[in-house]
Amino acid sequence: MTIEALEKKAREIRATCVQMACDGNVGHLSSTLSYVDVLVALYYGWLKIFPSDPANPDRDRFILSKGHGCGSLYSVLADLGYFPAARLAEYNREGSSLPCHPCVHALPLMEMSSGSLGHGLGVATGILYGLRRRKSSARAVVLLGDGECNEGSVWESAMVAAAHNLDNLLAVVDYNGIQAVGKSDEIMGHTSLEEKFRSFGWAAVTIDGSDMKSVVAALARFPFEKWKPSAIIAKTKMGVSFMEGDVLWHYRKPSEEERVKALAELKAKPIYGPAK
Amino acid sequence: MRSAFSKALCLAAGNDPELMFLTGDLGFQVFDEFVSKFGDRYINVGIAEAQMVDMAAGLAKEGFRPVAYSIASFMTARPFEQIRICVSYPDLPVLLVGAGGGYAYSSSGVTHHAGDDLALMSILPGMTVTAPCDPAEIGLLLPQILKLPGPAYMRIGKFGEPEVRAEEPPVLGKARLIARGEKVALVTTGDLAYAALEAVTELRKEGITPSLHHFHTVKPLDTEALGRIAAGAGTIMAVEESSPAGGLGSSIANWLARADHKCRFARLGPPDEFLYGNHSREKVAARYGYDKRGIMDSCRKTWRG
Repeated sequence: MTIEALEKKAREIRATCVQMACDGNVGHLSSTLSYVDVLVALYYGWLKIFPSDPANPDRDRFILSKGHGCGSLYSVLADLGYFPAARLAEYNREGSSLPCHPCVHALPLMEMSSGSLGHGLGVATGILYGLRRRKSSARAVVLLGDGECNEGSVWESAMVAAAHNLDNLLAVVDYNGIQAVGKSDEIMGHTSLEEKFRSFGWAAVTIDGSDMKSVVAALARFPFEKWKPSAIIAKTKMGVSFMEGDVLWHYRKPSEEERVKALAELKAKPIYGPAK
Repeated sequence: MRSAFSKALCLAAGNDPELMFLTGDLGFQVFDEFVSKFGDRYINVGIAEAQMVDMAAGLAKEGFRPVAYSIASFMTARPFEQIRICVSYPDLPVLLVGAGGGYAYSSSGVTHHAGDDLALMSILPGMTVTAPCDPAEIGLLLPQILKLPGPAYMRIGKFGEPEVRAEEPPVLGKARLIARGEKVALVTTGDLAYAALEAVTELRKEGITPSLHHFHTVKPLDTEALGRIAAGAGTIMAVEESSPAGGLGSSIANWLARADHKCRFARLGPPDEFLYGNHSREKVAARYGYDKRGIMDSCRKTWRG
């Protein structure tokens, strides 16, 4: 896909997420919207995927470690035909296959259940260690939140990934700058995530994660260095001007007026019809 | 028990090329044979138990059969959330092995005590929880545990535990009869079976003949055997080196409260306290009345009562 086509797709996915937040009556919009450009660049051109055969052993493994941002992942999976788009209307409903934190029992095509932070990178090290034994060239991408990187277990895993030269591993940190109760930089002392990953033995870059061209260019350079896992610190935006940088969007859903305003600004429609 | 575990692990690895062994930087020299034979299946993750468990989950997800090993307190309490979220919740076949469970590390202080290992693991849905009594039992149970489709925990002791002679071989999930008897039924788990057997042997000389049943499988609880035991004995006396909440004793008490049995129940074991003072394991067992002498005293009282 061209950069323009990817950008258009990202707007559609964002519009879908806004609609899902309203239909599902759930927050976490900031975490859902901020990594959409990265997600679209990954799924529409970079990841090796098999939508009609989701368990294909040759697939690249995508792990959403920050499970609360699952709205956009569900949208992309539906758009790619993993399941019918109409099902997005069931987001966060009781008994739904699309709960507000992904569950492998509800939706087996997810690589893992998530919702508790700091597990994705560790699970990915096990997956890749195993894939290497099987002589598979499949890659694993772990999407982490910047707030999630407060968790010590992330760094236990980062050390082991580098120690075992897991260069088929890509960690993308959705550096949206906000976490549950404040700004991530203020809470964690304004230190560089890129430098942290580097000092743990990774190859790391910081990019404008809301600029599709930069995202695609960074992904094209993977693996950044032979024998090293790669990290992309993606400085991201929600992509809806009146929501930017506001912690409140971790909690609230858009009002009807805000929903209309957001869709108008995105110049895109949700990929599914209104909830019945 | 550790040498027996290492030996049994090597046998299992020889039979199953998917078996992977992970350690949290523990087991100095214990796994030398494994390393020399299966070096590419030995992963020392470093002192990083959370990472070890999540990595084991990732391996299991890809079809491998991971066995993770650390000291019991660091294997259970420390990465509890990793076990709960990444192993128990997706029901993955990961075996967690806690060395020095219970108060085997009594003299090392509270940081190394794992009186809560069986309780912590038993509270997790789908977890099979085991505590073999001697080296031979480890060798016989490990292959059975490795056939389970879901997660399991195995508490093992340290070194040099004596052999417990039993009436029947161990079958995972089933109570194991060690000594036939009457009126009082002693039930044990872990290496306390040996102290209990010594007590039973000495009591016979006094004409006191309790039966002894070993529950190497703490969860799922063998309620079928318990039903038979409760029907035949006036008192079930649980002997355990475990926290009073969540161990074998409380599981049995729970079951008895629901079952229609007139059988009485007693528990010998450590209290709901941190055990300060770096006392020896023997001294702790004696103080709280679950060493050989304590078991004998309690049996005598119950026998006459």
